[in-house]
Amino acid sequence: MTTSVQKTSWRTNPTLIRYALAFQSSKGMAALALVFAITSVALLAPVLFPQGYDFQTRNALVGPSWQHPFGTDEIGRDLMVRAIYGLRTDLGLIFTAVPLSMAIGTILGLLGIISRRLGDWVQRGLDVIAGFPGLILGICIVIVVGTGWLALFIAITIAGLPSFGRLARATLLTQMNREYVIAAMTLGVSKWKIMIRHILPQAAETIIAQGAVFVVAAVFIEAALSIVGLGLQPPEPSLGTLLNIGMLYVTLTPMYVIGPTVILIILALAFSLLADALNEAVNQR
Amino acid sequence: MNAILEVKNLTTVFGPRAAPIKAVSNVSFEVSPGRVLGLVGESGSGKSVTARSVMRLLSARGRVTEGSVMFEGQDILELSEKDMLNKRGKDIAMVFQDPQSTLNPVVRVGTQIMEALEVHGVSKAEARERAKELLDQVGIPEPETALDRYPHQFSGGMRQRVVIAIALAHKPKLLIADEPTTALDVTIQAQILQLLADLRHQLGIAVIMITHDMGVVAELCDDLVVMYAGRVVERGTVEEVFRAPRHAYTAALFSAMPSVDGNEDILRAIPGNPPVATNLPSGCAFRDRCSFADDRCKNVIPELFQLSDTHSAACARADEHERDLSPPIPAQVASNSNEASGKEDTPILEVRNLHTDVNASAKGLFRKHNPIYAVDDISFKVFPGQTLGLVGESGCGKSTLSRTIVGINQVTSGSIIVDGRDVTAMSDEDRKHIAKTLQYVFQDPSGSLNPRRTIGQSLQEALEIVGLHGDAALRRSHELADQVGLSRTHLARFPYELSGGQKQRVGIARALSVNPKVLICDEPVSALDVSIQAQIINLLAQLRDELNLGFLFIAHDLSVVRHISDQLAVMYLGRFVETGAAHQIYNAPNHPYTKSLLSAIPTADIDVDPTQRIVLTGDMPSLANPPSGCRFRTRCPMGPVYANGRQSCVDLDPKLIDAGDARLSACHHWKDVTKAMTTEALK
Amino acid sequence: MHAVTFFYKTHGWQTKMLRFLARKIPSVMVVALISSMIAFILPRFAPGDPAVAIAGSEATPEQLAAVRAELGLDQPLVLQYWDWLAGVFQGDLGMSLITKRPVSELILSGLESTLELTLLATILMITVGLVLGVLGGAKSTGLGRLLLDVVTTIFLATPPFLTGLILIVLLGIVTPILPVSGEVLLSEDFVEGLKYLILPALALAIPQGALVARLLQTTMTAMRNEDFVDLAKAKGVRPGLILRRHVLRNSWGPAVVAIGLRIGDLLAGAIVVEAIFARNGLGSLAVLSVQSRDYFVLQALILGAVIIAVVIQLLCEIILATLDPRIRLEG
Repeated sequence: MTTSVQKTSWRTNPTLIRYALAFQSSKGMAALALVFAITSVALLAPVLFPQGYDFQTRNALVGPSWQHPFGTDEIGRDLMVRAIYGLRTDLGLIFTAVPLSMAIGTILGLLGIISRRLGDWVQRGLDVIAGFPGLILGICIVIVVGTGWLALFIAITIAGLPSFGRLARATLLTQMNREYVIAAMTLGVSKWKIMIRHILPQAAETIIAQGAVFVVAAVFIEAALSIVGLGLQPPEPSLGTLLNIGMLYVTLTPMYVIGPTVILIILALAFSLLADALNEAVNQR
Repeated sequence: MNAILEVKNLTTVFGPRAAPIKAVSNVSFEVSPGRVLGLVGESGSGKSVTARSVMRLLSARGRVTEGSVMFEGQDILELSEKDMLNKRGKDIAMVFQDPQSTLNPVVRVGTQIMEALEVHGVSKAEARERAKELLDQVGIPEPETALDRYPHQFSGGMRQRVVIAIALAHKPKLLIADEPTTALDVTIQAQILQLLADLRHQLGIAVIMITHDMGVVAELCDDLVVMYAGRVVERGTVEEVFRAPRHAYTAALFSAMPSVDGNEDILRAIPGNPPVATNLPSGCAFRDRCSFADDRCKNVIPELFQLSDTHSAACARADEHERDLSPPIPAQVASNSNEASGKEDTPILEVRNLHTDVNASAKGLFRKHNPIYAVDDISFKVFPGQTLGLVGESGCGKSTLSRTIVGINQVTSGSIIVDGRDVTAMSDEDRKHIAKTLQYVFQDPSGSLNPRRTIGQSLQEALEIVGLHGDAALRRSHELADQVGLSRTHLARFPYELSGGQKQRVGIARALSVNPKVLICDEPVSALDVSIQAQIINLLAQLRDELNLGFLFIAHDLSVVRHISDQLAVMYLGRFVETGAAHQIYNAPNHPYTKSLLSAIPTADIDVDPTQRIVLTGDMPSLANPPSGCRFRTRCPMGPVYANGRQSCVDLDPKLIDAGDARLSACHHWKDVTKAMTTEALK
Repeated sequence: MHAVTFFYKTHGWQTKMLRFLARKIPSVMVVALISSMIAFILPRFAPGDPAVAIAGSEATPEQLAAVRAELGLDQPLVLQYWDWLAGVFQGDLGMSLITKRPVSELILSGLESTLELTLLATILMITVGLVLGVLGGAKSTGLGRLLLDVVTTIFLATPPFLTGLILIVLLGIVTPILPVSGEVLLSEDFVEGLKYLILPALALAIPQGALVARLLQTTMTAMRNEDFVDLAKAKGVRPGLILRRHVLRNSWGPAVVAIGLRIGDLLAGAIVVEAIFARNGLGSLAVLSVQSRDYFVLQALILGAVIIAVVIQLLCEIILATLDPRIRLEG
């Protein structure tokens, strides 16, 4: 909006400097590398394994080998391929539900700018949702919409609202007391411009960092619900459904469980490291 | 003189080994028992780092690379950490700046004092007795009960007394006080300074007093070390340095200080900004800002030149004894504002009987509402081209007042008239009118600029309001930058790239961008270094005269407003206690509070006897529960607490009454103030 | 000062706590009430008619109506809710649609198993959290800190069911030490029961404990930079005492809050862990009820879980208030 008037070197932009510093640490680099690796493997799954997740070999329930690093399942499907397609399902779910949850949560939290009372009421509503632990919430949704992708999508979206809403609201309240916001108000700058210029950028940073934290929680919700049979339903593989069936065969081929577990842990690790790096960037002076 | 502490060639660096940043270079000084050494400098001069190097309390990134710190003939830097633990708190003690954060909030005050004793082997019972004794010594009433209280139950001044008690616990041989009064109000500062002076006479210990305030030095210190950019630029006895400063920086510092008795309208500011440790100029670090610098200063870092046994200065001109090193007096700017007075009699801002209830948000269905008036029946007028100085300590309601005027706090009753329009209702139209007429300059220049946005963007946000966009906005921001003494290249920078003084100039430029008629300056210089304060005050005065602006200039002490005010109002606990023409009030205050405030400010003049000072006792009462009658009576040196026959102060609430010469005073006994408020009369 | 003394003497500790509760309880009640409404309403939105489920798909409209009348389903929703709520207060949670046994009986039968699991898990979680947290927070640099960081991060990234699966594979299959499936109640055989309990409880506790630990570490690191720690150093206080008296004492508050929040998640986590370890607790009951659409059981379970979570959070706030004199004394 103002770039036409002034040339500002991006090298001196403090926001960029903060993020550059945070991601230059070994932790930040590892986070980026892992997240990149995971997403590209998931995205490229159809290219890497064109035979798809339903391709059956002759050998059912064999242990790990060079051909099938994770072994095969009860009807001879390659478990690594299934796990990677499962990852694809999980990421698909996460990358739609989490951003939606972030967006709705932010809007709810920032509603307080209209009036203090509205903000208070929204906060109380979010408190009620926060009273429902993640899985219980999932069960409530399953009761209403039945098992499947939609239930998980809704459960994850709603489960994130309290934390995102609360963060957005906290940012709103602290920013409204910042002198530069007061300065803008005394200049007569409109609420919406103040919101977009001063409050939203700050809120966005903290919410994106919290988003990375919540991705881990979202993966867990999917896996947990699927393990008890209330999540995704076959044939489409997800990490949780693989574990659900793998449980049955755990004594025969432990790799049925270990494979998806390792991928889940890498996924969770990647996003917790990302969350750490993002938080570091937010908190840097 | 047998020095207890000798610091020799101390060099402390920060940051990575590959590219260390020198915070302190080659610093040497000594302190003797019974003497107070003032370590003076502005922020970033290395004075605190020096103290922490002596205590060996540097943060993980800092380390001493050269020099020695001899304490009683032993080099502290060579001691093992275990031996150092035994020295700290026992032989060397420290008092920190902010009493709000130096006491552990969840541990009882008594435990915190006793801890200092117990860690050095005193038994619990003995420690408790000693702690009681210490609390009594530092002037805390009811020591026995105070021991079992928590820090939050004490006021800031009282907490600092506790911190001092902790430092004195073991009768240390050396006490290091790091800006112990900077975070306190003027009247509380006076109390603490008096306490330190008394203690030092009683105990005969050596003290290092770190401060930025030459007034504190004059009042408390015997010797003086002036630091600039990590180096000692001058040292000597206070007498020597104050009589004849031989470093251009020291001299400039003296003339830049705002003072209550200074008469000139324009302060002799030190130009430029203090250098940053990462980017020091070659040669003398002060040369860019020095009026006497020549080629010598560019190339060599000057050594300390010995002027007498005790006095030395690191200035190329230190030996030119006949030369006055004070910066030249600046040319008089534009008009003298006093002449303008009387020409215009329509106020640009008027406030009538204003009340602001700061407890209004606590109104609830089931709760009884107790209004707390932070602004209680305030009336004043501000005229174009004139300054109304508003002085009061923290918590007196001055910020609430200014925030009410710009519509951040809600008006409870009374009226606000801005440029002829009654804006009390604060409708959208009113707010627009206010925004165009009246602007705000904030205290904290860093906080008032969004760190994500460039200076140019911050200015443009303001310019949009008056309908300037694109090239027009750019041209105007160039004009504004010129007007406040910024370079145009600053516009593309981010706030973190600017010094405090430069940021405050941006704040002023932003306020000016809507072409206002009134500026509310809310302590605009109190977050700045002394040498920068003068620049900003001069800039504001100049802008006021050029643009015929009306100023409401808020400050917490009387020295800063002295140089810029035409009219003055003194505020205490939500009310004005005295108003009138500034020079008259400074000459002869009509209210005991004004008189005490004036007296409380330490002056950088060694001929003033600090024992002649009026020191108020106690703290400001709570706004929620003000005293009956006169609100100042609980602390008033001539009031009912100290003098008989002042029952009217308890019974009758004094209104502002005419005290002649268009002055008002809210004291029943204002005629007695001059006579009664002298140290002799108060004995 | 004198005003403070006065205030302090006239208002005792109990009065303050009462006042504190009086301020907190209304909001807790509101949350509980709204939760009960949600628990009640949700099943009604579900597809399928409970009357059909009971009477069978062959039933005539008259039979269905009779079943509805018997269950009170023909009443207006508000009335149904009121009846249900009144029942809850009298300990009558209704009848299971599927097993035709009282809901309270079903819940009682699974209660002990779940209580044992969550209690042990809570104890383990607090232990893991405090030990890892304090160790990590005590050191700011060095190899030890790095190691603790890695351990905490891995624990964090491993949800209860995964920890459970890993424990099953490691301790149950690779080196069979402990039983991995089924349960024995502690009241029946304490030692044997404990053997069955350890793995599921650990599985539940470790990841939640890691969250507590991480928070404690961050708080302690922040506290270490506080001015009062500098003052303590300047007093000559040994590092150990600085840690105990100054750093830790100021870090308990956030840790307590974290523990409170985690207990709610622990309850929910029991659902999965019970499934993995084939325990017959309330978690399994919940899963079964969802699958068989047994709404009256679900209502009761959801309500119970939410109310326990809310009450624990309230308890934590009370503990928090007693820990911090600033809250304790000013109310």
